[in-house]
Amino acid sequence: MSLFSGFNISASGLTANRLRMDVVSANIANANTNRAELVDGEWMPYRRKTVELSQSGSSPFANQLQSAIHRGDTAVTGVKVSEIKEDQTPFTLRYDPEHPDAGEDGYVRSSNVDPLKEMVDLMSATRSYEANVTALNASKSMFMKALEIGK
Amino acid sequence: MNIFPKSIDAMEQALSASTLKQRVHSANIANVDTPNYKSKKVDFQAALDTAMNKQKLSSYKTDNRHLSFSNESSIGTTRVLTNNSTQYSNNGNNVDMDVEMAELAKNQLWYNAVTERVNGKLNSLSSVINGGR
Repeated sequence: MSLFSGFNISASGLTANRLRMDVVSANIANANTNRAELVDGEWMPYRRKTVELSQSGSSPFANQLQSAIHRGDTAVTGVKVSEIKEDQTPFTLRYDPEHPDAGEDGYVRSSNVDPLKEMVDLMSATRSYEANVTALNASKSMFMKALEIGK
Repeated sequence: MNIFPKSIDAMEQALSASTLKQRVHSANIANVDTPNYKSKKVDFQAALDTAMNKQKLSSYKTDNRHLSFSNESSIGTTRVLTNNSTQYSNNGNNVDMDVEMAELAKNQLWYNAVTERVNGKLNSLSSVINGGR
């Protein structure tokens, strides 16, 4: 049933964008986390995480199989989250010698989360989510219409 | 003798092409943030032509530059084309959300219209079967 696979494609978009929103929420929540992980006995601040998307089923074999089955049709697939990456930009430094996490030089390293970037990402994820909902509703109403054939 | 009118066949083809179109636009919308994704579209008119003409002999093409048989319309089967010529965002993606949404709405209306016509045909058939009662 190819209409149902349209549902699945939209659902993959919903899942991916929901995850993006979750990751953005985690970044904002941890914007002030100074002790996120212990590396060699030293506390490291939280690193900003980003979501990497790719076309699902985009492995060369899957593509070849799809095009062989559909006589040269390009494979129509949804989206998947391929990786959650850590942003390697340097931590921000703040001078505060009294702070318990301050280094020898009196600077405190804190997370590299930029609230501005996070809000932009959040808006983009929200809009994409809404677009996928629209597509899903369109597929649904077409399916309901198909059920009315012959009534 | 065939009791079902021929146009029902054509409309069935139109419906399945429209379903494919719906899937392709859903996939484009799902991949709107995927780096290096290129938008796809269905060669819809070709699908409709195939359904309407019902040509006897179609050539099997492994490449879209191959020539067609003389009695065949230029393009044979429903195809999904990838648009590699444009780029809208820095990550190599070229999904135009406005176009996708408009196409989605158009496709939905088209699908509803064709279902309506199939129903009309079936209703007139049942009217004939019942002797106009």
